[in-house]
Amino acid sequence: MIPLTAAAAFAVVVVGAITLFIILATYNDVVALGQRVDKAWANIDVALKQRHDELPNLVGAVRDVMAFEADVLEQVTRLRNAYDPGRPVPEQGALSAETSQAIRSLLAVVENYPALRSQSNVASLQAEIERLEEVIAGRRELYNDQVYRFNTRIGQVPAILLTPLFGWQPRDFFAATDADRGRPDVSLSAT
Amino acid sequence: MPAFISPLLVLSACGIVFGLGLLAKGMAGQRRAARIGDTATSRISAVAVGEARISGVVEPAELLLTSPLQSRACVYYRARVSESAGRSERTILREERAVGFRVRDSSGDVRVFPRGAHWLVPPAFDASTGLLGDEPVGLSLRAGGAIEPSILDRDTQVAALLTVHRPSDQPGSVAGLLDGGPAGLALAGRREYEEARIEPGDVVTIVGMIQPFDQLPDPAGADAATGDGLDPSGAIGDPEIAADLAEARAQGVLEADPAEAWGNAAIPGFGIGRPVRAPELDPAASPLPAATVAEADRFARTFDIEPETLIVAAAADVGLLVSLGAPGAVVAREESRFLVGLLGAILAIVSAVALATSLSGLVVFP
Repeated sequence: MIPLTAAAAFAVVVVGAITLFIILATYNDVVALGQRVDKAWANIDVALKQRHDELPNLVGAVRDVMAFEADVLEQVTRLRNAYDPGRPVPEQGALSAETSQAIRSLLAVVENYPALRSQSNVASLQAEIERLEEVIAGRRELYNDQVYRFNTRIGQVPAILLTPLFGWQPRDFFAATDADRGRPDVSLSAT
Repeated sequence: MPAFISPLLVLSACGIVFGLGLLAKGMAGQRRAARIGDTATSRISAVAVGEARISGVVEPAELLLTSPLQSRACVYYRARVSESAGRSERTILREERAVGFRVRDSSGDVRVFPRGAHWLVPPAFDASTGLLGDEPVGLSLRAGGAIEPSILDRDTQVAALLTVHRPSDQPGSVAGLLDGGPAGLALAGRREYEEARIEPGDVVTIVGMIQPFDQLPDPAGADAATGDGLDPSGAIGDPEIAADLAEARAQGVLEADPAEAWGNAAIPGFGIGRPVRAPELDPAASPLPAATVAEADRFARTFDIEPETLIVAAAADVGLLVSLGAPGAVVAREESRFLVGLLGAILAIVSAVALATSLSGLVVFP
């Protein structure tokens, strides 16, 4: 082989190696991103299940004292019973946000009952529910961030060139509800 | 040099090797950038077990390091001093060290065990001696030891500030080594200094395995507290080691309990002059002031880690990547390596063409 042919072959090998590297790296990155989305969702699901298990304890502990707040308790119970891990992600996101809103209402009402707040079991249940709410909020952010990265990657070059080949589809966000997006009713005027 | 080896031939061969080297480093950088950039940042308070990326401000845990070239308190450093005279070059000092630390974000903090970590830290100090051999501005060689406790009370800090150390009288001092002292090396040429470090207060991005503290393997392979790594029956598997231990116990050299072995030193906080309970002292000795409740809590939080506490560390299948800077900056830095790698590929191809041209005799050099 004459030297110039060898140099041309070398150039082809180097360019081919770079191309192969980009293809393999892109494929592996998208697969890993998909796995991270699934893992982030699984971690949310764990926290939702923990909240689902804790809510009856809190409702049971405050039910007798809060007899006049039956609508708040019923709403929490109804939303808790609606929890279904098999539903699509957006529906679960909407239900979770609605449940969080109902829990916030319940915890706000509990604040009006000093007798309840002084009970250690209610206080610890309240703290646990608040902790779980914080965990769910944090993991929802993480999940949405991970979905954003996945959707952006499969929509960009070079992954978009591989998308028809591997059938990658955009994932759904764990979206907030209209109620979450609404402005709080705050009045600055003196009452 | 044989007549048929022209300078172009040598340069071309070097260009191919150097270019391919840059390409390989660029590809490695691209993989690191993908690993960091494709993982979303977890809030520390909501982090779950498994691989995760966290980002926050570094806080010291029990110990701090003192960097060798600028004497800055840090949790990680990598330092190198090389000397060149004429065509020869030698490395006088090459040191890399890290201690455990905490990372705090707006939601909480998590402890990092850096054993086996890969560090992406650009140099903070990169200088060389001047034409007349004068040392660069900013060089402040470490005069004392490399490790110091991170929790110091006021009196200890004042005493440390007022104590004058001879440059070479402490283990870990690099001042004596570089000043041509007893173990030192006289200046024979131009010196280059490079130091990279992570200091308390720096922002870091970490990708690693989040796991409960009790699942962290003991660095020595056996945990005396839990018995991990030992025979389930409590017996030592190796008969030679078992015989040595039995002999040591028979001679009264080896105690069964830390308090018996170390006495007061087994009391938490004793080593830093603030024991959490009253030590047994010689009547002639000055009594140490006991730690306050708040201090005792702080020491307990620092030194005693609950088994279920989540920490960040390397795992068998998940490496630990610690990088200086916010996630976006780290990813940009690593991706730029890939661009440099592509330029390296171009260099290698051009060098190959030049080599081929030279070998085929198309270009004639005088």
